[in-house]
Amino acid sequence: MADDEFVRRNGGPDWIPYWEAGRRRELRFQRCAACGTWRHPPGPMCARCLSFESEWALASGRARLLSWVVCHPPLLPAWKERAPYTVVLVECEEGVRTMGNLLGAGSEALRMDMPMQVDFAASPDGDLVPQWRLAT
Amino acid sequence: MEPVSLKDKAAVVGIGQLPFSKNIGRSEEVTALEAARLALEDAGLKPSDIDGMSKWSIQVTAENAIARNLGVPNLRWFGEVGYGGGGGCGVVGHAAAAIAAGMARCVLVYRSRNRGSGGRPWAGTSRERDQAQAEGNETAFFAAYGFVRPVDQVAMFARRFLHDHGYSTRHLGWIAVSTRKHAMNNPMAMMREPMTLEDHARSRMISDPLRLFDNCLETDGAAAVIVADAAVARDCRQKPAYIRAAAQGMGPRNFTMNNYFKDPLLESPGAYAAHDLWRMAGVGPKDVQVAQLYDAFTPLVLASLEEYGFCKPGEAGAFVEDGGLEVGGRLPCNTSGGSLSEAYVHGINLIIEAVRQIRGTSCNQVPGAQLSLVTSGNMVPTGALLFRGG
Repeated sequence: MADDEFVRRNGGPDWIPYWEAGRRRELRFQRCAACGTWRHPPGPMCARCLSFESEWALASGRARLLSWVVCHPPLLPAWKERAPYTVVLVECEEGVRTMGNLLGAGSEALRMDMPMQVDFAASPDGDLVPQWRLAT
Repeated sequence: MEPVSLKDKAAVVGIGQLPFSKNIGRSEEVTALEAARLALEDAGLKPSDIDGMSKWSIQVTAENAIARNLGVPNLRWFGEVGYGGGGGCGVVGHAAAAIAAGMARCVLVYRSRNRGSGGRPWAGTSRERDQAQAEGNETAFFAAYGFVRPVDQVAMFARRFLHDHGYSTRHLGWIAVSTRKHAMNNPMAMMREPMTLEDHARSRMISDPLRLFDNCLETDGAAAVIVADAAVARDCRQKPAYIRAAAQGMGPRNFTMNNYFKDPLLESPGAYAAHDLWRMAGVGPKDVQVAQLYDAFTPLVLASLEEYGFCKPGEAGAFVEDGGLEVGGRLPCNTSGGSLSEAYVHGINLIIEAVRQIRGTSCNQVPGAQLSLVTSGNMVPTGALLFRGG
């Protein structure tokens, strides 16, 4: 996938630090440099203090499961051979919410609000990205 | 002093709709023009009466193309609303606001879309993709996880919603079955074969917990409505459907489709539109005889029943059971077959059906319908309209 295509398909320029951290096996979220408020999905301005200054801080990687789906065809070509696959929505300790694929278990193991922990695995384009598994 | 309001200042006076299909075989420009011509004929108006146009921003055919082909001498007002299926009621509402403000007297609203033959925006195979992305690419935030389809984005909401409110996928089935029953009486509907709860439960899994029959149709279609000043409406051919109230809503921290980053997690933009709609209308959900609740996916209807106040949170399941959404039920809903079984054209067919209920010309007419509600997609910034009869 061409770089510009990757950026476009993955949220745009605001998201680049998130994907770059994932390649280093780190879960990082944007945090306001002025008032310290975490925010995700990322964006240019802090809605609490209107500062444009931000940093990308390391998250604990601990989260709570809010919801999940199991995707079946029709799917994009890159995803067909992975089907059915599970996507989870989690709320991190930092208060922000994010998503990822479920690793190490089938969706039948999932229960609402169960603890989850971050891990890293490749998306079909080969890049390591933050993913989620049941907390041990 | 009375607050300025668009209440009853404008009415839908003309409707036009082409037969829906999987492949309509001509361009969205041609079909928009055909629908506009039908709507003008229905109203008994001429192109020279049109002085405004209002459209979905995702519409690929621009106003000037429509205006010059129809021979409209001048558009003194034109505008558009974004967010695909969330935009429909706003498109009509803006027309009514322009009329109330004296910026237009007769506004053509149109939507033509070759989504049956023309590819899927989420797969990057439709021209509409670029338009949608200009409004923000948040629908692609989680593409690296294989999470790009509208059905996935609704299913993520739906699993938590069903869990927290005590609903089951059988309640979703009731919505699909009731809507299909209405489509069976509608010669324009794309899906007219009978459907049972078991058919729904056995249909192919697409994005667990949602199955094929929880999804709307893939449609080539075109439709138009004409919104006119109440003074113009009195001289038109058809009984006017007065716009009693129009509202839009977005709520806090909204992201298109991936709208999981605000609190409460399960509150939709519909809750905000509903609040303003009832306030402007001066009536409430108990006064409404018929509703077209945006049904691109079945769970959206459950959420709207709660948020527009037809039942309390947790009660929508019982509300839809046993034909609660059918004519003769608690709230006849999506009486043309809706997006699930008539056609999916970003809700313009729902708006037209809401008007037919006021005229008394629906295939599933609710006797004596005087207040007719229609809502737009509530996984995105949304809107709602309340029509009233004479």
